[in-house]
Order: sequence, then structure tokens, then C-alpha cells
Amino acid sequence: MAQDKLLKIHNLHKSYGDLEIFKGLTLSMDRGDRLVIIGPSGGGKSTLLRIVMGLEDIVGGDIYMDGKPYILRDGAKTKIDRKLQARVGMVFQHYTLFPHLDILRNLTLAPVKTRGMSRAEAEEKAMGLLTRFGLDAKAHAYPSQLSGGQKQRVAIARALMLDPDLLLFDEVTSALDPELVAEVEAVMMELAEAGMPMMIVTHDMHFARNIASRVVFAAGGVVVEDGPPEQVLDAPQVARTREFVERVFAKKR
Amino acid sequence: MMHFDPMVPFKYWDALLIGLWMSLRLTLICLALGIALGFLTSQARRSRFMPLRALATFYVELFRGTPVLIQLFWIFYCLPLLLGFEPGNFASAVVALTLYAGAITSETFRASLKSIPREQYDTCRALGITGMSLALWVVLPQALLRAIPTLLSNAVALFKESALISAVGMADLMFIGSSISNRTGRPVEMLTAIAVIYFAVAFPLTRIVGRVEARILRRLAV
Repeated sequence: MAQDKLLKIHNLHKSYGDLEIFKGLTLSMDRGDRLVIIGPSGGGKSTLLRIVMGLEDIVGGDIYMDGKPYILRDGAKTKIDRKLQARVGMVFQHYTLFPHLDILRNLTLAPVKTRGMSRAEAEEKAMGLLTRFGLDAKAHAYPSQLSGGQKQRVAIARALMLDPDLLLFDEVTSALDPELVAEVEAVMMELAEAGMPMMIVTHDMHFARNIASRVVFAAGGVVVEDGPPEQVLDAPQVARTREFVERVFAKKR
Repeated sequence: MMHFDPMVPFKYWDALLIGLWMSLRLTLICLALGIALGFLTSQARRSRFMPLRALATFYVELFRGTPVLIQLFWIFYCLPLLLGFEPGNFASAVVALTLYAGAITSETFRASLKSIPREQYDTCRALGITGMSLALWVVLPQALLRAIPTLLSNAVALFKESALISAVGMADLMFIGSSISNRTGRPVEMLTAIAVIYFAVAFPLTRIVGRVEARILRRLAV
């Protein structure tokens, strides 16, 4: 069904103990969307990505992918459809490469061990991705020999090995030295231009404006404002968004 | 009063060499068995089956918290009673030191398993690497890598502790050295010579520990 949303989050509830993170958050995403989520720190932006990746239990609500139930609250348990989970990829703030494997094996481990891809096929695909990201010379280096920017590009390549239909980026440039941010953002821009659906959490408002097709301001456990970057970042309609955006941009100046 | 004669031990070099060989053999055998026992014990301590967890914890705490010398006497006197026959001194010494080595290496493995960052597990779930694949290709290699420096330290400790088996009459380096010292009445020269031999084996090992540690830490610094 072509009109089904790629991702539909409906009435999501999540809490850690007494702390309520989401109080009925609703959000949907089309195939062509590159969603940037902004909001106060501690507001659950990263938690939202972790939930969509299937790494967190939820308290209530449901998430659909292509109209099919992906994550549901069923009685006392969170039910996750593993087949649909396999279509989502995620890149983490601290790269989390496998330190005991070289770069090539970092890329090939998952497809070879869990997707039944042959080693030769996986290596060919990995070399293709590494070449595309300018990292082919590092194929046999170990993660500890790479700069932060290189490690993060490897982490993106590793996620792409599994051909995800949706890629999640959790503050992927926050741990990087400022001069290394650009090379990672360039790779993400390239993926955006190639039409990869993305959900991005970032503190970099300038980058958000460049890459987003939609910006979502989430605060207080719900979506406060949702629209194109020109609206949410430059002319917010809701007072709460305006306050937040003004404060963030004031800090930059 | 006799004067210090540093040449005394050299007259007995062949006997001392036989003793050293016994000490090394015992250390290597007990280290290999102890590492296997230690890894299994570290897994047992994470088991969901309570009695197994309790048994493993009791074993580790007992052998870490009591003097090795007393453990040796327990095994030497209790093992024949339990088995109904005399297993021989060498076998008893192997059992005793293996139990001790297993207790200390299980703690090494426990710490190295704990030191694998939680994010590694998240990443694996995001990549669909779960169950046996996760254990075999991600957790085990990293746990072993992180354990190597401490395991080498455990090896040095075990080599020195093995001197205690002389107390139950095993002809190791310590036993042979002290017998010679009793017979010749040259305790200072002989005991110093023994210490030098232990040191000559242990010191390079401790140096290797430092180097290997630096290398592994560099590798794991991601």
C-alpha cells in the first residue's frame, strides 16, 4: 500500500520508574522524510530513537512500519517484530565499533553471521562502501588506529551493510572534535541526497537546517511542533518552540 | 660463624634445575586447567540457576579467602578419604593448585566480562547479532582480550605460590633448595639462590604483562 507511512508512532508512553519520558507522543514519517528531532536535553530524543530501534521497552502505544505492527504493548510485555526491526539501522554517539576486529570485519560480521551472506559477497560490498566514504585504505586497520570522524563514518558504513529502510542517527557528531564534524555530516548529506530515510537527533542547528526535510520539536513528552525547517527553526508557530529556538540560537552567537 | 660463600649453590645446580622443572611443570599444568575452570566458574556465577550460582560463589570465596598452604593440606588429607585411594602427591598438588588458580582466574574473567561496555550489546542488537553469534564473535573475544594482562599476573602469582607444595613434600625448587640448605648448613646462600631463580623466571613475565597490557589497552581504546 503506497499510502502507508514508513513509520507511524501512535500514542507512545514511556517512563523510567516515576520519570515519564513520553506521554502519548504521536509522530509519523514518509519514505522521503529526513526527520530532525530537537528539544530540551533530557526530553527523551535519544530514547525515542532507541525505542524505534527496538532497544527499549515501552509502557503504552504502538508503532507501525509500512502499516504493519512493529512495536506494540501487549499486556505486560513489549512486543517487537524482529523482521521489521531488521529493516532499521542505527548509528550511535560513541561509534561502538568492535575493537577486536579490523574495519573490514567490523562491516562484514553482521551480514555474514546473521544474514547468511557469503564472506566474499560481504567483503565486496564492504569495500564498495569504504571506497565511497574514502576509507578503503583503512580496511585492514583496527578501530583504535582511526580518528573519531573516520570511526563514525565506518559505523555508518556498517549500518548500511544491512540495507536499512530507515537509518537512525543518535547525536553522531557530539563526541567528535569540531574539525572532524564536517566529514561525518558530508557523508550524511550524501545519503540524504541518495534518498535514505533518516531520523536524526542533533544539537547542531545549522546542520539540522541543511539536512532536514522536517523538524520535530519534542518537549514535555509530546510533539510540540512539526514542520519544515523554515517554519520550526525560523518562524515557529508555537510559543514553546520559539522560546527554545531563540535560546539555542542565542547561545551560538 | 661461617662467612658468606656465594659459590655454594652452584655445586648443586643440577638438583636445583630438576626442582625448577617440577615447579614450572606444575605451574603450567595448573594454569591451563585453572583458566578453563575459572572461565566456567565465571559463567556459573552469572547463571540464572540459583544453586549453581551459590556453589560457584562459595567455591571462589573459600579459595580466595583462605591460605593456600591450608588448602594444600586439605586436599592432601581429604582427597584420599574422598576417593578411597591415594592419588599420589603430584596429582594432589595439581588438584590443589588448580582449584586455587580457578578461583583467582574466575574473578579475572568476571571483571573482564563486566568491562565490556553496554553500548556493544546495543550495537549488536541494532545489527541483529544476538544469542550464540553475540557470545561467540563479540563477547568472548573481547573478554579474553581484556583478561590477558591479568591472567599473566595470575600466572606469576601461581608460580610463586607453587613454592608452598614443598610443605607437603613435593620435590619442587623450594623443597630441593631447602633440603640442600639443611644438609649443608648454608641457609642464607641457598635461600638467596632460590629467590634469585624464582625472580629470574617471574621478572621477565611481569615485564611482559606490562607490555601486553599497553598493547591491548591501545587496541581497546575506541
